[in-house]
Amino acid sequence: MRPLRYAFLAIPLLGLAELAAHFWFAKRPPTSDEWAAVVPAVRQTKLDGDLLVVSPAWADPAARSALGDALMPLRDVARPDATRYPHALELSILGEHTSELAGWREESRRVEGKFLLRRLENPSPVHVVYDFVDHARPPFADVRGTEPPTVCGWTTHAPIVAGGLGGHPTFPAERFECPGGSYFNVGVTVIADEEFRPRRCLWSHPFARGEIVTRFHQVPLGRVLRGHGGLYWIIERKKAGAPITLTVRVDGDTVGTAVHRDGDGWAPFQFDLGAHAGAAAAEVEFAVSTPSYNERHFCFEADTR
Amino acid sequence: MTRNGGWKRSLGDAAIALSLALGYVVWLLRTTKDLGYARDEGFYFQAAQSYGRWFEALLTDRHAALARPAVDAAFSVNHEHPALIKSLFALSSVFLQKRHHLFAVEGDSYRFPAMVLAGGVVGLVYVWGTQARGRVAGLTAAVLLAAMPRFFFHAHLACFDVPIVTMWTLGAYMYWRSLRDGGVLFPLLAGLCFGLALDTKHNSWFLPIACGAHFLALQVWAILARTRVGPLLPVPPAPGTTRRRGFAALVAMALLGPAVLVALWPWLWHDTVPRVREYVLFHLNHEYYNMEFLGKNYWAAPMPRGYAWLMTAATVPTVTLVLFAVGLAVRGRLWLVGVGRWLAGKRVTLRAETPVDAAGTDVLWLLCILINYAAWLSPGTPIFGGTKHWMTAYPFLALFAGAGFSAVVGAARAELFRSRRRSAIVRRFAASSWAPAVVMGAAVAAAPITETVRSHPWGLSSYTPLVGGAAGGASLGLNRTFWGYATGAVADFLDREAPPQGASVYIHDTAGPAWDMLLRDGRIRKDIRGVWSIAGADFGIYHHEMHMLGQEYQNWVAFGTVRPAYIGGLDGVPVIWVYETERIAALHGHGR
Repeated sequence: MRPLRYAFLAIPLLGLAELAAHFWFAKRPPTSDEWAAVVPAVRQTKLDGDLLVVSPAWADPAARSALGDALMPLRDVARPDATRYPHALELSILGEHTSELAGWREESRRVEGKFLLRRLENPSPVHVVYDFVDHARPPFADVRGTEPPTVCGWTTHAPIVAGGLGGHPTFPAERFECPGGSYFNVGVTVIADEEFRPRRCLWSHPFARGEIVTRFHQVPLGRVLRGHGGLYWIIERKKAGAPITLTVRVDGDTVGTAVHRDGDGWAPFQFDLGAHAGAAAAEVEFAVSTPSYNERHFCFEADTR
Repeated sequence: MTRNGGWKRSLGDAAIALSLALGYVVWLLRTTKDLGYARDEGFYFQAAQSYGRWFEALLTDRHAALARPAVDAAFSVNHEHPALIKSLFALSSVFLQKRHHLFAVEGDSYRFPAMVLAGGVVGLVYVWGTQARGRVAGLTAAVLLAAMPRFFFHAHLACFDVPIVTMWTLGAYMYWRSLRDGGVLFPLLAGLCFGLALDTKHNSWFLPIACGAHFLALQVWAILARTRVGPLLPVPPAPGTTRRRGFAALVAMALLGPAVLVALWPWLWHDTVPRVREYVLFHLNHEYYNMEFLGKNYWAAPMPRGYAWLMTAATVPTVTLVLFAVGLAVRGRLWLVGVGRWLAGKRVTLRAETPVDAAGTDVLWLLCILINYAAWLSPGTPIFGGTKHWMTAYPFLALFAGAGFSAVVGAARAELFRSRRRSAIVRRFAASSWAPAVVMGAAVAAAPITETVRSHPWGLSSYTPLVGGAAGGASLGLNRTFWGYATGAVADFLDREAPPQGASVYIHDTAGPAWDMLLRDGRIRKDIRGVWSIAGADFGIYHHEMHMLGQEYQNWVAFGTVRPAYIGGLDGVPVIWVYETERIAALHGHGR
């Protein structure tokens, strides 16, 4: 028999195989009903303080829609990184896993329909003593400008301002408002980093001159002060802006300075607190400045651990 | 075949082509209501409305309408693109809709001309495939082109992307007919069609390059045949008369094409040279848009060289691509064998039954594919429209696929003939002239048609099983949508959820005129206002594109939640989602 005698059958068989594969792939992801059905299992598995991560990332909106803010709060969804979480619950579909939790030890796993729930333990957990973004409001914090000296007043009902298509992040109703226009404020917002991941941070657009200083009172300190800074990537990627300097002072002592240059992305910084380490109540200032303030949409987050 | 039989066959083919075209247009019309309006459609609606007013003025006061101020005022709108297709949109709106109310909604009247042209190219591919490679090849090619999900998506739109596919293919077909049939008519038609293509979209600039390269190939082929290499050529060259016909067609294209462009684009009637220069420079220096590819957002050169190839593999049904490869191999086998024997130092002898393809059909089709993909070999070429920019290659890809399928059916028939003594069923099957083609055709077309039907109205989110379908495309980091057209998919949600006194919606990537058309069509309640800022809006729409994720985060802070109130998408993959205020959520008992 000639080996290629029936080769023509490969084409219709391929067509039928593609048809079967189409339906197989189309039915693999969970429907909205299946997302709703997994909620009780997530509630049972996720403990207080656990980070909930969805894999693959494109399924995140479906997960958020089903699970809601209680299980997936903005603080976690737009986390600076995963280092602060002692445990995470990975809600996985299609056999995919997030690289963010690579190296974490699996404590338990549970299959629920199309979902795999894995509770993971951070191999290097840290204890966050104080999160500055969480406390960016009176009476914990105040904001001022230095040249000329100005005070940025706190409000809980400022008009929300959003940049729209290609524009700046949303300025929330609760924020410190400074003179000079809506850009000059300090409030909790979310920027898209260089991978367009959400990062919750303190908007801190520098003034034309001097510093915009956010001061925190009665801060219990850990060993280091650690954080990230960046700009909405659409702005930063043009690499056309001036460098931005973030200076951190503890009780008047400068403990570190981080210079952010366009293109750095969501850049980490960490300062050793030296003699201030372990203080029960310190005053911590974050001072942001730039030689040229055009499109300096700087946003930072920090904690002490 | 008798002359009478030839006429009957031609009439039959014309009827089949017309049926395919009409059937496709009906399919498009019946599915268009599910599709929101794309950004560019919004801009073309505006242009068509401006053109339409001019056409109406032309009927009432021709002298005033033809004066420069009136012409420039009407055609300055969106003058970075030629006028032909927008003129058709305008004429359809003015005559078919405003005067005769042929369509259920106004938007359909603008989309209708592009749908007709989409049907036209499906019919044309049948005709060309049939004339060149037989009915089985022609019909298969037409079906496989129609059943490409991305082509089907674009075929709905009041845009230029499918119309240029039609005009480009028509121009190439007329050039081919010039070579095959000679005479005066087809070179003139080639010139006219090139002009129509020029007045459709700038992809037309590649058409004379493809035809010119083909003409050169025929010349080189003929020259080689006269040298010592000649006896080694596996296929004889086209005769001199054919080559002269090709030259005539190219001359007609060179002379008539620009003349037709200027004649049918009133914007060029004045200040012609500077305006043509402005038009050409706009497209030669087109800005870079954002495009996600393999999980990375590209927004400036260098763009990824693999983009066009991988996206073709990921979006054109695999069986179509495999049949294309089969067709290419089958049609190229003489060359491949010849080159192989030449490399082995053996003399090539032509088989007596090898027909001389004077029009060099395979070479022309292949060049039409390669030229249309060539721009994407340069990392400097902007990527701003996904697969639509090389869609002009798809009719030729389908034609090779049709030829491939015809060869596969031929192999099946031969095997059935050999096996005819085994059983009565095989004997009857082997005796039938159409049964093997129908059975195998059904198996081949099932996946492309199913993928196309199921992709709607999420055509830009659709990926083939080769990459894991829509979910696989999302996991690979391939673009999920662009143009903001998916708003149509959330219209029912907005109508249902907006309070009785009306509401405001941040419409994100939806163009203003596209949103307005949804309102005019009655697809969204007229008391729902589109707004440009999330702040203060009752709803916030988010169309997912990687570089637009900042927009989603604007919604989170403005609405105080990360929980979408509604998600629309394909096969479990979110494409568009909507946020709502706490007040609206409370109205409907939605939690957060």
